[in-house]
Amino acid sequence: MANIDLDKMLAKVKSSQWALADIDWDAPGADLITEEQWPKLKAFMADLMWIEHVGARGFAAMAKKAPDDTLKQIYTYFHAEEQRHANAEMALMKRWGMLDGDELPEPNKNLKLVIQWLDKYSDDMPLEVLGSVIPMLEIALDGALCTFLLDTVDDPVCHQAFARINDDESRHLGVGFHVLEMQGRGDLYIKALKTVATVLDPRLILGIASYVPLLNRMRDNVVAMGLSEEKLYACMKKFERIGGRTAQGRRNPWYQIISRHGRMVVNRDNRAYHAPVDLMVRLTDYIPERLMPSRVPTWVKGISYRPTA
Amino acid sequence: MSNENEQNQNTTAPAPAAKKKKAATRKAAARPAAKKAAVKRKATARKKAVAAKSSRRSDAQSKRNAVKEASVVIVGAGFAGLGMAIRLRQAGVDDFVLLERADKVGGTWRDNTYPGAACDIPSHLYSYSFAPNPHWSRHFSGSAEILGYIEHLVKQYGLRDKIHFQQDVTDARFDETKGQWRVDTRQGDVWQGRAVVMAQGPLSNASFPDIEGLTDFKGKRIHSARWDHDYDFSGKRVAVIGTGASAVQIIPELAKTAGTLKVFQRTPAWVIPRPDYATPDWNKALFEKLPLTRKAMRQALYWTHETMALAVIWNSPLTRLAERLSLTHLRSQVKDDWMRRQLTPDFRIGCKRVLLSNDYYPALQRDNVDLITWPIARIAENGVRTCDGIEHQFDCIVFATGFDVPKSGTPFPIRGLNGRELGEEWSGGARAYKSVSVAGYPNLFFTFGPNSGPGHNSALVYMEAQLDYAVEGIRRILDHDLKILDVRESVQQRHNRHLQKRLARTNWNSGCKSWYLTEDGYNATMYPGFASQYRRQMSRFVDQHYRRVPQTGSA
Repeated sequence: MANIDLDKMLAKVKSSQWALADIDWDAPGADLITEEQWPKLKAFMADLMWIEHVGARGFAAMAKKAPDDTLKQIYTYFHAEEQRHANAEMALMKRWGMLDGDELPEPNKNLKLVIQWLDKYSDDMPLEVLGSVIPMLEIALDGALCTFLLDTVDDPVCHQAFARINDDESRHLGVGFHVLEMQGRGDLYIKALKTVATVLDPRLILGIASYVPLLNRMRDNVVAMGLSEEKLYACMKKFERIGGRTAQGRRNPWYQIISRHGRMVVNRDNRAYHAPVDLMVRLTDYIPERLMPSRVPTWVKGISYRPTA
Repeated sequence: MSNENEQNQNTTAPAPAAKKKKAATRKAAARPAAKKAAVKRKATARKKAVAAKSSRRSDAQSKRNAVKEASVVIVGAGFAGLGMAIRLRQAGVDDFVLLERADKVGGTWRDNTYPGAACDIPSHLYSYSFAPNPHWSRHFSGSAEILGYIEHLVKQYGLRDKIHFQQDVTDARFDETKGQWRVDTRQGDVWQGRAVVMAQGPLSNASFPDIEGLTDFKGKRIHSARWDHDYDFSGKRVAVIGTGASAVQIIPELAKTAGTLKVFQRTPAWVIPRPDYATPDWNKALFEKLPLTRKAMRQALYWTHETMALAVIWNSPLTRLAERLSLTHLRSQVKDDWMRRQLTPDFRIGCKRVLLSNDYYPALQRDNVDLITWPIARIAENGVRTCDGIEHQFDCIVFATGFDVPKSGTPFPIRGLNGRELGEEWSGGARAYKSVSVAGYPNLFFTFGPNSGPGHNSALVYMEAQLDYAVEGIRRILDHDLKILDVRESVQQRHNRHLQKRLARTNWNSGCKSWYLTEDGYNATMYPGFASQYRRQMSRFVDQHYRRVPQTGSA
């Protein structure tokens, strides 16, 4: 099993910190972005940046729920690191001239809904839910999108930044799967009961309603960028493979739910799933602006492309 | 800064000597027949070395450094040392000296002069009952007024001649043949006393956080306890690291003058309102003319604080009530829900020190102030790098990071019977008897010793009890001409077992990290009970608990 020593992990995390100032954002190579790439890349980067930011908020909620001090500290660092990734990605956008002045790019509507949900309810969710969803988001979206980016973009600064980001993410995933397995230990019956009880929580249903279309929207965006969707699916299957490699991991009901859901997402022939979800994505676009959450939570404003402040 | 560096050198100095001693002791134990001879040889060698050292010192330095004697040597001239002097004098003991490392009295109230510095305990309770002051200008006085009170004590009790300034104690050792303590100072002076009172204060050495690159910063660094009053903050980019008791007092003041202020928080504390007010003149006059009213005020404050023990020390319904009060305070002062989340503690109230402030939360919301909760990755040449990858650049970093509280050591080597060294014995956590006496270190009295800290009441209430207890001990040594008055090891052990059992059930030991606990979670700092319980415990000096050796008799 992915049994890692959390104390050693915390020490490793502390010693592996980097800053935006470590990268020369004005180094040559920005012009390697082709004109054709530019508009799609802009939308893509904005989504990516927001996903990192949303992931960061997820870790903040997990830090509150962590069962021991070491894990709590690790999550506190991960929260900051996800924010750092968002900052670095924003710095790349700045470098590529994709920012409208100093403005933060608008999140798409599905992300807006997710942000709203995270802000309102994530602190109330049990660690099991976030502990399972976050690795999925990380592996599917972060992992797949980053690989794709490095395959298509030649700018050396982009590679430099993502080498560091991926390094951090590998630690996030290590801990993610460790916790997934940790929570798989113990009485299955109690866990199943707890899971059912949590699923019945209307706050979680709202969360699912935000998360599910987000995945499909990201798939559409990825396809629009020219990435074969199989690459995304390959990453999502990785969740099932790594999370399910031990009995403990498989015994975690949330692992079961998330990975089964992943299978449905990957299977395009499953019309029973995709038709309504795609509809949800399209419907989200029709939500009039005035009905969208108008209040932007303060944590959203914390992103910055500037290495110094 | 030089002070704490010197102090650190002090505390680390005894280690090699202690190791050698340990090795020697082990060898001696292996050969029981040779044990006595070895110990004797060792003792003689040590005495010779000490003699040689002191003769070298007196040769090298001036002849004025002859051994000076007093019945009682008091280390430190802060609240504790001066209180001890007053109580001794009132008990008829006048042959004492106070050794002070600085050139002024006042201890922590001389050192902590940062803007906004004040006491968190109402002044009528944070003062000596035997030296009342009816003129306190506010309910919670500022540091300058408290320092004024301390200086007034010196004048009122004529203590000036008893205080020897610039006497930084580096070593104290007990001579069991003579029943005398020998105290050496950095300045090369040697003092001898029948008894020694440790009144060096627990909060006397400034502590800097363990952050990488601390010395790389090229701008101005200021510690809250070593304030630089010449530094002009106006228009400057300023950082405050820490959000503890000093920080919540500094931040509202700095926010008014600094250009920008960024506050770096690791753990949010519980903050409750501070019911401060200026005492009207009629009230001061009343306290002066009718001392009974002042006494009644002190009693009222004392018992109000005693009730707080139920909320702060133990987990009770009052604990929930106190938490609700604090959260209501937060909700009413902070509008933004994310900031409220950042400022909400995730440990039980009382586990760490509870803070009192009305202007801390509003200060954080000023336009020129930012609260930063990202972990600090390192300090760089131009500022602080947080883990979200941003370098925050500053002209000045203020460290409101508190003090090195000696939980597992002594400020300088203290050698007791048979060459035992207290710092070594306390390396796993300090232990004493009733926080004042330590077995194996006769005729030595601690103030603010192990497990004497209150979480809910005035430290000076506890202090008075300690002073009076020490007077009882010192009177016995002097009146009965004792060579040795040493608490029995078994008594001390029983006392500590009992203490730790009770501490395990307190909020301090409920899981948070605080300066009350050692790295291993051992609580060597706090007293698990009401102040009244502590006072009752201290009011009895049980002679059977001490081993006594008269001057004329044999050991």
